Amino acid sequence: MALTTTTEEVSGRVPITVLALDGELDAANFERVIDDVRSLYDNGTRNLLIDLGGLTFLASSGLVALHSIVRLLHGEPPPDLESGWDALHSLGLDVSSGTSQTEVQLCGPQPGVARVLSRTGLDRLFRIHPDRATAIADF
Amino acid sequence: MTLDGLLRLDRLGRLLESFASVGPDLSISMEDTSANVLAAAGAPVAADDRRRRISRDIELDGGVIGRLVVFAGSGGETSGSRHSTPIAEALTEALGSSLEMLLAETLARQAAERSMTAAAERAADGGGTRLDAELALARRIQRSFVPLTSPDIPGYEIASHYEAAREVGGDFFDVFRLRTRAGRLAIVIADVTGKGIAAALLMAFARPLLHAAIDHTAAPVGALERTNRILVEERGSALFITALCAIVDLGTGRLRVGNAGHEPPLIVPATGPIRWLSGSGPLLGAFGQLDLTEGVTDLDEGDLVVLYTDGVTDARAVSGERFGDDRLVGVVEANRAARPADVVAALAGAVRDYQTGMPPADDVTIVAIRRLPVKRRRAAPDR
Repeated sequence: MALTTTTEEVSGRVPITVLALDGELDAANFERVIDDVRSLYDNGTRNLLIDLGGLTFLASSGLVALHSIVRLLHGEPPPDLESGWDALHSLGLDVSSGTSQTEVQLCGPQPGVARVLSRTGLDRLFRIHPDRATAIADF
Repeated sequence: MTLDGLLRLDRLGRLLESFASVGPDLSISMEDTSANVLAAAGAPVAADDRRRRISRDIELDGGVIGRLVVFAGSGGETSGSRHSTPIAEALTEALGSSLEMLLAETLARQAAERSMTAAAERAADGGGTRLDAELALARRIQRSFVPLTSPDIPGYEIASHYEAAREVGGDFFDVFRLRTRAGRLAIVIADVTGKGIAAALLMAFARPLLHAAIDHTAAPVGALERTNRILVEERGSALFITALCAIVDLGTGRLRVGNAGHEPPLIVPATGPIRWLSGSGPLLGAFGQLDLTEGVTDLDEGDLVVLYTDGVTDARAVSGERFGDDRLVGVVEANRAARPADVVAALAGAVRDYQTGMPPADDVTIVAIRRLPVKRRRAAPDR
């Protein structure tokens, strides 16, 4: 029920930080995951693979974390969740407009998590790989 | 490595013993929910090393009370730093139930100190804490957005249930006749992601926006696209909204649905299997364009539609299991012939029973509408 996050550095074509999420990502912890990634970014991470293999549940607030993480890795000002009113611009990464980001990729979502991603359209934002090795090769 | 040997605090929560068994490569800190470090030990962590970390929430009685963070120092590995497996192993071994208790005690002690200080301050200036007052106000504002009674619609029966979690939540719903088109009823159900006052404010902003957009477009997908555009371009926010808009042609029973990332509604026909109404797309606030597809179905007499938020399906039992789609369908199936008010009450009751012993995690909203069977054939005035 808790969420454990594990980070490690791997070398693909580029240095990649792998952030593994184990447990449940929900309203109780999504802000922490954003904080974790903010600290990764501040310390030089520019390519992030989020390993969802151990994630058993993704609540809607977890989607906020995923979206914010993409923003962070884009070097955009970190969203201020408390205010919720800052004039933040959309990512301009819409699939429909033909742009896509590759800085943050996902791998190994369980079926329930994959369903939430596709229901909410957040799957548009990411390349989603079946496993870590495939994902690392794609960076 | 056992936890009891790992962390030893004195009665004031100060660390008595360092994490001897952790070794020089690791440092560990225990934080409360605001990331205030309560106890730390091990090698100091250089900024360069802060990336190699593991953190784990510490839960007690279903609520997160803090977290444990393990940093890997740079001792040992130098270049490449491919793996952090030893850290993961150390953490896995280190985590036990006693950690929760330890942190809970530390937090409880701090809270007691804080409340004593607060009580002293209150005594000094004679008022409650500002945050409590703000939360209470936000809660009241939020409640005022939720319709207490459904409109009286001849030929249809509508019931709803709205139950807020203790914290300020983000669900809302709305049922109203279109001003611009006679004979059409709009139903909106939505959930602002995130939590707290920010979510409540976004909901306060979004609800009238959706209402006006539906009135203006009389088309569920168009209304959602319009609302999304305003949210993204004019009122950008770090939060999202899952929203479902339905418009019922009261005369023909045609139901048109636009679904922006929300849980799909259940269609319960008078006879035959229950099904989900398809048609979905991205939630509001994340993308410039939604590209939604409208879902359409015709309600025959006796057909029932059940709309709900994820507070239903994501409700968690003490075992950690979620209420889920199967239980939802099961409860609706068992009550499919009942009146909408009873269907809603049965589902709300089932969710409440299911999460007995757990703190209410999320708002629960349910709306049910049935097209009533008519006894005698009458010309249904559509316009």
